[in-house]
Amino acid sequence: MRDRHNDILDLSRRDLMAYAGAAALTAGTALGSATPASAQAKTRFVFANESDYDTVDPHAAFDVGRVAIRLNIYDGLMRWQKNPAVLEPWVAESHTISPDGLVYTFKMRKGVKFHDGTEVKAQDVVYSLERILAVGKGAASLFKSMVAPGAAKAIDDYTVEFKLAKPSAIFLSIVPEIHIVNSALVKKNEKGGDHAEAWLSKNSAGSGAYKITQFDPAIGFVAERWPSHFKGWGPKWIDEIEFRAVKDTNTRVLGLIRGDFNGIGGYLQTDQLNRIKANPATQVLEAESMRVMMAQINTTRAPFNDVHVRRGINYAFDYDGFNKEILGGLVERNPTPLPNTIWGVPKDVKGYSFDIEKAKAEFAQAKVKLDKPIELAYLTGFQQSEQAAQLLQNGLTKAGVQSKVVGYPWPTIVERFKDPATTPDVSIYWISTYYADPHNWVGEMFSSSTAGTFKNASHYKNPKVDELLEKALRSTVQAERAKLYEEVTRIVVDEAAGLWIYNTKWYGPYSSKLKGIVFCPIGSAQEMRTAYYES
Amino acid sequence: MRILALILQRIAWLVPTLAGLVAVVFFISRVIPADPVAKLAGETASRAQIELLREKLGLDRPLLVQLVDYYRQLLSGDLGTSLFTTRPVWDDLYARLPATIELTIVAMMIAVVIGIPLGVVSALYRNTIIDHVLRIITVAGLAVASFWLALVLQLYFAMDLGWLPLQARITGFPPPSITGFYIVDTLVEGNFTRFRNVVAHLTLPAFTLAFPALATVVRFTRAGVLETLQKNFVVYQRAMGIPSGLIVWKYVLRNSLISTVTQIGLLFGILLAGTVVIETVFQWPGIGAYAFEAILQSDYAAVMGFTVYAGVVFGIVNLVVDIGHAILDPRGTGA
Repeated sequence: MRDRHNDILDLSRRDLMAYAGAAALTAGTALGSATPASAQAKTRFVFANESDYDTVDPHAAFDVGRVAIRLNIYDGLMRWQKNPAVLEPWVAESHTISPDGLVYTFKMRKGVKFHDGTEVKAQDVVYSLERILAVGKGAASLFKSMVAPGAAKAIDDYTVEFKLAKPSAIFLSIVPEIHIVNSALVKKNEKGGDHAEAWLSKNSAGSGAYKITQFDPAIGFVAERWPSHFKGWGPKWIDEIEFRAVKDTNTRVLGLIRGDFNGIGGYLQTDQLNRIKANPATQVLEAESMRVMMAQINTTRAPFNDVHVRRGINYAFDYDGFNKEILGGLVERNPTPLPNTIWGVPKDVKGYSFDIEKAKAEFAQAKVKLDKPIELAYLTGFQQSEQAAQLLQNGLTKAGVQSKVVGYPWPTIVERFKDPATTPDVSIYWISTYYADPHNWVGEMFSSSTAGTFKNASHYKNPKVDELLEKALRSTVQAERAKLYEEVTRIVVDEAAGLWIYNTKWYGPYSSKLKGIVFCPIGSAQEMRTAYYES
Repeated sequence: MRILALILQRIAWLVPTLAGLVAVVFFISRVIPADPVAKLAGETASRAQIELLREKLGLDRPLLVQLVDYYRQLLSGDLGTSLFTTRPVWDDLYARLPATIELTIVAMMIAVVIGIPLGVVSALYRNTIIDHVLRIITVAGLAVASFWLALVLQLYFAMDLGWLPLQARITGFPPPSITGFYIVDTLVEGNFTRFRNVVAHLTLPAFTLAFPALATVVRFTRAGVLETLQKNFVVYQRAMGIPSGLIVWKYVLRNSLISTVTQIGLLFGILLAGTVVIETVFQWPGIGAYAFEAILQSDYAAVMGFTVYAGVVFGIVNLVVDIGHAILDPRGTGA
């Protein structure tokens, strides 16, 4: 049997031929290139993702798992960049908001090209939003709370206007989720009014920095650099990117060390990160992210509608034991529902600490006796969630309260959240960044309008909090909004409406030679436009 | 003729069996407390938005109506559309089936080609050191967890020695395929470099998958050979002076394989429908990983599609086993 070294040599010979051809093709078209493209060999980046790329439709998903498609293949009017996340104009050059906060008008750049060479125009933006609303998946639910079909209008080829049903300060934050599709191309592939769902699930119609060349739902996708991307390119780039699903964590780690992959996704254990760090061929990039691990406490029924019981639960969790011992200090303590790094966090709020005596004292003040075990729910398949539930169980036992740990798969627990009667007493999981605005966390977690959703599994309802959140949504002045979110955060922490554990640190395992990775909490550093290999 | 009648009879039974299987899985998948529509609608969806989407997908209709609709679809050869990929389930299954079938066939070949001779050797050298060593190996084969074996093989052969690939079906992103079976494709193309690459990628997952099956084949063959060796015809053949090699490999083996063939059939079905662990560890883009994801997401159409596939596979395998029995022991069918 031939060994793998020979395979690699063979591939290299084949690739060299391809490199020469590709370099010649791109030499004349690269924008903003300081180095002639022909001078650099064709470069390739392979990323092993923890979840499937079952569809490449940018409007069908709103998750981290498939974010590479949205960020690399498509563009939006605005885009979240850097860390802490900053909202930057992208295909839009500028925007204005009407004084009543109802009309958002975007001026678009001229000359932005789709991968088929046609120009991105306002009509494409209008079609994209209409399609999001019609398909009803991904970020559609967020948009539907602000705009109705017909809300977007092309004033001219390069001006698009959105009319909101009511003022919403977070509208701008989710504008990046209007991934612009080539409306003419998509319409051509519609079948029976399906908005080309089947077609766009395996084909692309974007203008992003990379263009899909191969897609296999069982494997992933390959995309080649789009030299005409409107943002231009730096002196170095990656010619071809491949994102493939590799679900087994060990296989991802071993594959990175072996050189099969140049980057891997998923949250890794401390020992795995240390192993990658110790290897000279690999590196681990670090950044504080915006993903809060927390427990939602069902506030609708006794004894959890008693603030003393909720505070007792908060005092029974060993925060340092979990963050520093179990997770080896890979995370930062986060005492409120808002990630430490975002505006609107009240800096004076210290949150709860592990104190069994205080827990006992709180439980003693409860009006209703805790006479049956508390159900501590974790997400099946998420080890940290289970470990946190077990640690809380340990603390509760020390405080004299019985509890049971129960695992639920994601779809099951979401179903249970819908009804307060079936919502577990305490559910431990994470709230990630869908848009970098305090409303993503404290707003959606404690507004009565979201009760029963994944974000508000506590079914928390407080008219005062609703009023403050409504005000925060109506205002477009950040300083004013920050104060309102601070006040809401103080209330929910005082009422122990949940239990907040840590803010995730992002660890990016990559090949040592890879440079230019820019982490942004929205996108988990999977936008590859700035990445390159050190020669 | 009797064999033909047997085939027709089994096929006739396959239809109601499949219909029953579909009904059972259909109801089970819908009564478990999981809501794929909520996931599809997004984490921020309100209950009203989720219900609207449910209505749009036709999942708000009575279950019986949905089941009848599904039967109607099946009769027209349509397995439905996946909730999450929005593609026809058949397209998704078809994209993955060759990978699983190829892996399973190679694993079964390893199990049979190595397992049957080892079973015979084990029986012939009963209670000797050879038999004891083989017993240890076969017991280990049945006891060892697949994911553990897979990891150990990866660490040793891929990482330490660097002889074999760690994961995937082929180096790099696969080129457009002719049949979906890479071994066949590369041979048809005459591309022996790629053929070796494909075989190298197949080795570790196929061996991991084959190991427990191999153990079963060895155990059943050994038991069958030992039993047959006690039969009068063997004593007679020995008395006639027929060479012992001929007695064992021609006459004894044929009479010993009935239970082994049954096991091979069952194993083949089990492997084909249940390669999920191996496919996950070796990132093998097959049907097992697809089914696992479909179940986790409660993707109804995908779960039903996999059920139909597994049902048909088991039906066909049972049919082949019955035919095998009829050939090995014609008395049962009167053929």
